[in-house]
Amino acid sequence: MKTYLCALALAASLLLAPPQSRAQDVTYQQLLNADKTPQNWLMYGGDYSSQRFSRLTQINAQNVHSLKAAWIYQPNPPVQPIESSPVVVGGIMYVTEPLGTVTALDPRLGVKIWSWTPQLPARLYTIGVHRSNRGVAVYENTVYSTTLDAYLIALDATTGAVKWKVHVDDNGVGYAMTGAPRVLDGKIIVGVSGGDVGIRGYIDAYDAKSGKRLWRCFTIPAPGEPGSGTWGKDMSGTGGGGTWGTGSYDPELNLLYWGIGNPAPDYNGADRPGDNLYTDSVLAIDPDTGKMKWYFQFTPHDTHDWDSIQVPVLFDGTIDGKPRKLLAFANRNGFYYVLDRVTGKFVTGVPFVKETWAKGLDENGRPIMEPNTEPTPKGSLLYPDGHGGTNWNSPCYSPLTKLFYVSARETGAYTVAGEPKVDFPSFGGGGRINLSGDDVYGAIRALEATTGKLKWEYKLLAPSETSTLVTAGGLVFGVSNEGNFFALDASTGKLLWDFTVGGSDAESNLITYEVDGKQYLIGAAGTTFVAFTLP
Amino acid sequence: MHDPEKCIGNEKVWGCRVSGFKRIRLVAFAFLAWTLGLGAFHVSPAAAQAPPDEPGPPHPGDPAKGKTLYDTNCSTCHGVDARGEDGPDLRGVPASLGDAAVENIIRRGLPGTAMAGFYMISQGGAADIVAYLKTLNVPEASGTSTGDPQKGEDVFKTSGCSACHMIDGQGGSVGPDLSHIGSERGPTSLKERLLDPGANLPQVGGGGMMGNSWTEYLMYRAVEKDGHVVEGIRMSEDSFTIVLKDATGKFHGLRKPDLRSLEKEPGKSIMPSFKGTLSDEQLNDLVAYLLTLKGSR
Repeated sequence: MKTYLCALALAASLLLAPPQSRAQDVTYQQLLNADKTPQNWLMYGGDYSSQRFSRLTQINAQNVHSLKAAWIYQPNPPVQPIESSPVVVGGIMYVTEPLGTVTALDPRLGVKIWSWTPQLPARLYTIGVHRSNRGVAVYENTVYSTTLDAYLIALDATTGAVKWKVHVDDNGVGYAMTGAPRVLDGKIIVGVSGGDVGIRGYIDAYDAKSGKRLWRCFTIPAPGEPGSGTWGKDMSGTGGGGTWGTGSYDPELNLLYWGIGNPAPDYNGADRPGDNLYTDSVLAIDPDTGKMKWYFQFTPHDTHDWDSIQVPVLFDGTIDGKPRKLLAFANRNGFYYVLDRVTGKFVTGVPFVKETWAKGLDENGRPIMEPNTEPTPKGSLLYPDGHGGTNWNSPCYSPLTKLFYVSARETGAYTVAGEPKVDFPSFGGGGRINLSGDDVYGAIRALEATTGKLKWEYKLLAPSETSTLVTAGGLVFGVSNEGNFFALDASTGKLLWDFTVGGSDAESNLITYEVDGKQYLIGAAGTTFVAFTLP
Repeated sequence: MHDPEKCIGNEKVWGCRVSGFKRIRLVAFAFLAWTLGLGAFHVSPAAAQAPPDEPGPPHPGDPAKGKTLYDTNCSTCHGVDARGEDGPDLRGVPASLGDAAVENIIRRGLPGTAMAGFYMISQGGAADIVAYLKTLNVPEASGTSTGDPQKGEDVFKTSGCSACHMIDGQGGSVGPDLSHIGSERGPTSLKERLLDPGANLPQVGGGGMMGNSWTEYLMYRAVEKDGHVVEGIRMSEDSFTIVLKDATGKFHGLRKPDLRSLEKEPGKSIMPSFKGTLSDEQLNDLVAYLLTLKGSR
């Protein structure tokens, strides 16, 4: 009887206790209005525009100098690089660890609530793919994530239990998955890795409830399809075109924008004469059908590994006195592009780092090539290097300053043409010898978003692989490759705060959120996540 | 073991001691493996399902076949000529870990790291890759030594070298420890460095700190806000800090945002040039002595 009463009292107290850490049923309406609930960080990129702009102002230019570490979370085992972009909703933070573990954390304490770890095969095939994971999507009490052996997983947001899993493709022939899914209204959109080993890339949509595949949009056309004439022969089986970034979405236009990776074989284009559509492009896709509305190719016939999987940043701006719906894209090839996101038409494009491969862009945005830029057997020096003027790490845009903030890499490389091998699993074409050490550097650069004009820069020691995050508090946050977190004045680039964590490969996407009236910043360096808040 | 003398002036490096550069790379490699959750270089969890070793005597690797296999399977991560890229520099790794261990890693991977098991490569293919890696010489051990090491030791003692350099635990700590210099450098480069210490500063693997490599013993001149000048060798650097070691061996940890200026001084060295100070004969003797320093512990 006593036991019964105790149990009853316990049950009552549980019922009456405030739901401090209950996962919310995230609705599509909430996702559409993500920018209006800045205490949460609801999705990759912050909201569908991927601006990574937060309206939070508690941490601001006046007080950021006193920002302190609040907690540290160390995945076990410690593996790097951590490339996760956390999601915070309903008092829970969801992070992914490099080998695909999904962990729910208390965002105030940094302690683990649950975690789920994929059972990866001993024979995991990830050539040219970072063994890492870039984050989850959360929708209707479900957490969606991808695995290195190419599964899409749906987990219960409250317990981490597996609701369903879909075998997206065969890791044994080079497919892997590392990107954060994008959730639309009832659909989960994902891309695939493996472009360097000759997969045929695609973007997939799955039903959020059942995991049933709704459509597949290939990035390499089959014979007879539009664009198939840009390869010289049928390369649709092995042309590459990975889709390992995460795309953006314009709900009004109902268009999904997704960046496409490099053609294969890498570094040697002899076997694939032509522009090699739709590699190194951004696609605008109708998410209801999976049909391509338009494409824009940044680097035709790429031989330098310039995957264009950077996240497209959607913003509205004024061009020649007229309001326009625009898309900003800082590309691995060293150019910053502004496109009309309704039509895909080129608006402007300028280099944002040293580049020596193109004289400039023509009126359609196509590069005007410098001579002798192809890789040679002995190697030819070209800027930027294969990691690019910037890589996958997300840039950001502030509607307050109208500036685009990007991590810039000032590097070059000797690119070497090897034998164009297409016999799986041997899949090469050459490689590169990067300049390094004291010959290279990184910077955070603020570009006028509509023109690409440099407003300011803050130099970093090594070519940086950080994301940037901008807030209404007038701050731009980043982390150097050597593990220094820092805050810059969003208007001037002046250094306002820094904190050394150490470690290398600081590649996570920094985010900010607010719990119990306190704003936090979180990112990772080396093998640890570090959260910061004001004292 | 091997006869280190055979390494000098010889294209072959297999069997030779790993040079200082290579050792640093290996340390970086080992550290990387360690930070990635690996206790040691043994390869276990995947091994149970890895392809069986082929019976019979060890396969004599074919470097030409190995290069083809390397270029199509390994260069994406380990770079052209195995100089390292996302993955570590592999030159000298077989000499350090042994052929069998490297072949094992090629075929089974390093669990917890980005190194996948290339189970589709045969054991013979792995041996070919190892044979190729062993041809990637670092052209350091060039030139010949004609000096007298006994006399060279006297030159070392009378020229003040030990004020800055340590050998087997004895000596100063401003410059590099020379206990193993004889297996790290060849006669030509030793002589060049005695004459022009600031030229050709060594590049070391940076373990991701600054890309693949960075310059060791690079001199910097820092001016603090109050005008105080610190000049010294860079011990470490990141985007916001730098640690310099001055000519007395004292460390100065500086925050870059607090400095008025910070300039590299390429070509400069804390070590004086011995050009004109020592005769050519003395230099040759000194080089001959340094070449005998292979480490006693």
